[in-house]
Amino acid sequence: MFDQILFFFNALLQQTGAANFNFGNLVMIVIGGTMIYLAIAKHYEPLLLIGIGFSCIVANVPGPPDVPGGPPVSALLYVVQEGGLFHYAYEGVAKLIIPPLIFLGVGAMTDFGPMIANPKLVILGAGAHLGIFVALILAKLVGFTISEAGAIGIIGGADGPMAIFVTVKLAPHLLGPISVAAYSYMALMPMIQPPVMKLLTNPEERRIEMAQIRKVSKLEKIVFPAVIAIIVNLFFPPVAPLITMLMLGNLLKEVGVTERLAKTAGGALMNIIIIILTVAIGSTMAADKFLTWDTILIVVLGLLAFLFGTASGVVTAKIMNLFLKDKINPLIGSAGIASVPIAARVSHIVANQANPHNHLIFHAMGPNLAGVFGTAISGGIMLALLGVQ
Amino acid sequence: MIPDTVYGAILLSIIDFFLSFVVISGIGFVLSLFPYLNRLGEIDEKKLREGGH
Repeated sequence: MFDQILFFFNALLQQTGAANFNFGNLVMIVIGGTMIYLAIAKHYEPLLLIGIGFSCIVANVPGPPDVPGGPPVSALLYVVQEGGLFHYAYEGVAKLIIPPLIFLGVGAMTDFGPMIANPKLVILGAGAHLGIFVALILAKLVGFTISEAGAIGIIGGADGPMAIFVTVKLAPHLLGPISVAAYSYMALMPMIQPPVMKLLTNPEERRIEMAQIRKVSKLEKIVFPAVIAIIVNLFFPPVAPLITMLMLGNLLKEVGVTERLAKTAGGALMNIIIIILTVAIGSTMAADKFLTWDTILIVVLGLLAFLFGTASGVVTAKIMNLFLKDKINPLIGSAGIASVPIAARVSHIVANQANPHNHLIFHAMGPNLAGVFGTAISGGIMLALLGVQ
Repeated sequence: MIPDTVYGAILLSIIDFFLSFVVISGIGFVLSLFPYLNRLGEIDEKKLREGGH
């Protein structure tokens, strides 16, 4: 009888995931927990990190094998399999439905006035993208193919939807680690950027106050999306779906007669998309797929891309100051990396620490918004040069 | 088009980085012309909102 009880207990245990739990799962659960901690305790992009962290944890709680003797399948993977809710969530990302919808929402929430008001600062949107190319070359040096290296490099554009878009086109098998690296580093920018910004500037430069920007008229704001959509569709067809949706969302916001649509695109729809996106990304973080040498390399290269992008933005701003009569605060250079509005907020905070009277947020938003176009342009040129439509 | 080598990666990076500067400068130039739009007239934002749904 005792043997029979043991047998049934053992059979019961095999029906659970406990027998299949391994060290890799534990590591990933700690990583997921850290994301949730940073979101709650440090307020680092909670909208992104809560969903990614939670689904990362659940993706690493193994269930019983699908077939006797087969590999364990986590409960989350059941809903990720075909027919499950998050299968379609992930397909929305992989089939490039989600990224353009995110851009629609971003456009509907964004005021491009600071970018229109100070056109000379848009150059920082290109200057802060050196990180893309440093990571690309390093990725090639460590053995990735040039398409994979391009996808890894675009992490340095600090633009999640664009990173997903380019990765699906160039190296879809790396979508999980690249999107995780891109979104995680974007969320961690308040930790990553300030040391580089302070290293490359002196206190006097950080205290520079900038003149108030001009007021941009409604007519300019309405014409802006149409003009940009024409330029991007004309010269960068590979990334046109994203920028076109960004501009459509912005037009809905600016025209004033489609307030309902703008509110939906930037509100309810955006929130739904964020939930789907974060769970889709987190569900790719199962230890057996995520804890690989390639992922570690991608995470390291992504960090280098962010560091070099931040540095090159600040240096570009300092170079601009050599030619400008009205000096700009070089801290706004790092905002050119994109990641709206996180990078602009970081510029503002670091400048405010150096000079409490300094409110750089509107000045930093110009290069920050230009950075979105900078990433799109870099991605578009990259896809074209690699012969990808 | 671009060879799958380190040389190709460097070539791609140089072309892409340079062209990004050129294109974004072009966008900057177009934006610098935007104030001239205001010579066409002014849009009454209040009237715009009243016409919305």
